Amino acid sequence: MKAFDLHRKLERHSGLLIFGILFVSAIGGLVQVLPTVLDARLVTPAPTALPYDPVALTGRDIYIRESCGTCHSQQVRPLLAEVRRYGPFSKAEEFAFDRPFLWGSKRTGPDLHRIAGKYSDAWHRIHLLNPRAVVPDSIMPAYPWLAERPADSGKNIQAKMRALRRLGHPYTDADIEAAPGALQGLTEVDALVAYLQGLGMPGPGGAP
Amino acid sequence: MKLNGEQYHDRVTAWLTGFAIFWSLLGMASGVYVAAELVWPTIDFGHEWLSYGRLRNLHTNTVIFGFGISALMATAFYSVQRTCHVPLFAPRLAWFCALGWQAGMLGGGISLLAGWNGGKEYAELEWPFDIAIAVIWISFAIVFFGTIAKRRIQPIYVSNWFYGALIIVVAMLHIVNSLAIPVTWSKSYSLFAGTQDAVVQWWYGHNAVGFLLTGGFLGMLYYFLPKHADRPIWSYRLSIIAFWAFTYSYIWAGPHHLHYNAVPEWVQSLGMVMSLVLLAPSWATLVNGVMTVAGAWEKLRTDPALKFIVLSLAFYGLATFEGPMMAIKSVNVVSHFTDWTIGHVHSGALGWNALITFGTFYFLLPRLVGAELYSTRLANWHFWLALAGVMLYVLAMWGAGVSQGLLWLSLDEIGELSYSFKDIMASMKPYYALRMVAGFTFFAGAVLMAFNLWMTAKGRRIVCIAPPPPVREGA
Amino acid sequence: MHARLLVLTPWHFVRLMIRPSDAGACLASAAPETSAVLLRLVIPLSLVPPLLAYIGGAVFGWHLGGGTPLYISPAGLTLISLGYFVALITGFLSTAAVASWMADTYGAKREYGTHLAFVVLVGMPVILASVGHLAPHAFVNMIVLIPALIWSLYLLYRCLPAALGTSPERGMLMASSLVAYLLVAGVSLLGITVVLWTGGIGPTLGV
Repeated sequence: MKAFDLHRKLERHSGLLIFGILFVSAIGGLVQVLPTVLDARLVTPAPTALPYDPVALTGRDIYIRESCGTCHSQQVRPLLAEVRRYGPFSKAEEFAFDRPFLWGSKRTGPDLHRIAGKYSDAWHRIHLLNPRAVVPDSIMPAYPWLAERPADSGKNIQAKMRALRRLGHPYTDADIEAAPGALQGLTEVDALVAYLQGLGMPGPGGAP
Repeated sequence: MKLNGEQYHDRVTAWLTGFAIFWSLLGMASGVYVAAELVWPTIDFGHEWLSYGRLRNLHTNTVIFGFGISALMATAFYSVQRTCHVPLFAPRLAWFCALGWQAGMLGGGISLLAGWNGGKEYAELEWPFDIAIAVIWISFAIVFFGTIAKRRIQPIYVSNWFYGALIIVVAMLHIVNSLAIPVTWSKSYSLFAGTQDAVVQWWYGHNAVGFLLTGGFLGMLYYFLPKHADRPIWSYRLSIIAFWAFTYSYIWAGPHHLHYNAVPEWVQSLGMVMSLVLLAPSWATLVNGVMTVAGAWEKLRTDPALKFIVLSLAFYGLATFEGPMMAIKSVNVVSHFTDWTIGHVHSGALGWNALITFGTFYFLLPRLVGAELYSTRLANWHFWLALAGVMLYVLAMWGAGVSQGLLWLSLDEIGELSYSFKDIMASMKPYYALRMVAGFTFFAGAVLMAFNLWMTAKGRRIVCIAPPPPVREGA
Repeated sequence: MHARLLVLTPWHFVRLMIRPSDAGACLASAAPETSAVLLRLVIPLSLVPPLLAYIGGAVFGWHLGGGTPLYISPAGLTLISLGYFVALITGFLSTAAVASWMADTYGAKREYGTHLAFVVLVGMPVILASVGHLAPHAFVNMIVLIPALIWSLYLLYRCLPAALGTSPERGMLMASSLVAYLLVAGVSLLGITVVLWTGGIGPTLGV
């Protein structure tokens, strides 16, 4: 059989085998992933969209640090029940400033993509510091340390914005200049609440 | 006994085995702890290092990368020498690879607890660790392929293709998915954004499962099962076909993690179709494994470890069937975001990866130190604890997952949601409690194994084994 | 010797279930007719869980968690119970078929009737545990079913070699293969159920 003769050759030459594995395993990525990565429409923000302001950006990075995405998705699927429960379904253009994306894969807690404005800032603050004070059955961890730390403890907000500007986020010099001032006097919990209250909303804080 | 003074380098395998057992205990213990936190949410005592979000990352990283990769390195180094009839190429580099990996995992584990987090699932480690991983991985590749290049028998045995695919494909996935712009030591921003980042991440995430947890461990199966059973693989030809079909089709299936999400329709559909195709090569391998072991039943009398491999094949069969099924959109719409996914992952991770590794270690370690296993009784106890643990785990998560999927989507007669999220979440408590018990049962079995293997190896030296004298091709 | 004689009644199988050491030999002592096993055991036993589920569901409503119980219309309940019955019958017959199909590979007896009787023996604890359906609460059922399931698993590994006439080693392999089949069949059942739901049969889902 011809195919097996070819294979006899392959299994006797380590170089050919390496090349074969690389070639065969790359096809899927080249046909499926590469076109997605090159399709600029998928990451073109809606015209009204602005990148995260310094406070929301700080809050988002705290959200990542505490792995909130392990239990909370940010992806409302276009299903009747889901739109009822959470709000309008998520669209690709809403995530153009999300590095990394935070759609999640598990809902131990509810989806958060349309959480903005559903609860007051004060509710969020209490809930983050002690969830069971407002939701008795909650199994969410408490995050008391967020209230103790200043939002700009890393003193790196400008470096973060500059890095993002290199990736194409439209921050002006003036934005970056003003960033440390915006974080002045805020704690981490303030920043996280600001991020949550902007999630899935038009204008500053991310989505269109 | 020795040929040109040549010997197999088995000390590195022995140490890697020890490290793998250490990571398995740490990883499972942290898993049981986070499972307990879902039952009693205050047992993090308000301490950030014990917080669920951080401890869960430690759990996944230590079991997949600490336990899984250490076990794969140990068995790859062991088997590549024996299938090539030569000692390891660049043994010092092999030690660098083995110890470097442990240092990286230790530092990485601490960094995860400290809150360094890239934010991508199963790729949480931040960029300094990503670079270290890439460097160590390349040293792994050099040792492995270097050994193959200087082999004394012409055909490259099939286990080496799976290990080879593990090394090559994981390198490709890891490097592309980790591309990021660093800001500080502990923070970087992904080169990809939003939808594109999602597609790249699940191309990585799914194929880490594919080429590491499936393919890598199939390498282990293809070497150690015939060794255990003392007979050749049932159909070598089937293994060839299955290997290439597997390598080709696995890579496409990632988007089934993104059904109904904001990614293009064609990407989702392609992901679903290729996931279904994947069943064929996965089960071809299953048939091959089952038929190999079916003819070697006499071995079970003397070898308690073979049981673990037999059972691991059963769970391999389940996981590779369940995966494609959950990739069907009309199933996924209910199962996505629920604990069914967690159950599926653990039927693979506990039932397949852990059991085949345990079986391999029970076989390998006594041979490395030239002694009988300390206690067959303990190994039998381990077997039953593992079976009960994984069964209960899977059932608890099936119950939880299907309930969540049904209740989240349920509408009443007037089209309103039937249940609040809070009520559904609160009703999960019993399932989560059962899962905790199941996880602990499985962990207890692993502790017995650690003790058993420790007593087997204690105070003994690694046996020196020389490669067989060269044979001429066709002789 | 009387206890060793296989009698095709549910009661006798309950007695065998609690004496695993005798059960295998007892099954091996006879070569029951497939039709007899089907009529006297499989069909009557498969009626029990659906009936209990019907009664429980009609009287108390199903608690899957999440507040108000899920009341299903009598027509819906009948349909579910009927589906349950068909699933159980299919489960018994297909497992026995898979077992007798594998028999050659594992050097076991090939008679389908014996395999079917063996599968009934293994399924017995779970059938009994379906009494939990009378209290149709997902958690109550889980708590009752899990020990039953572990007992079933134990019977499977313990009794298979004697019942089907093979060596303990090959029996262990065969039992593991059956575990694989049962796991796959179980998850298929979940999958089929979910596809029916999303297809509009059963509870109303907003998909």
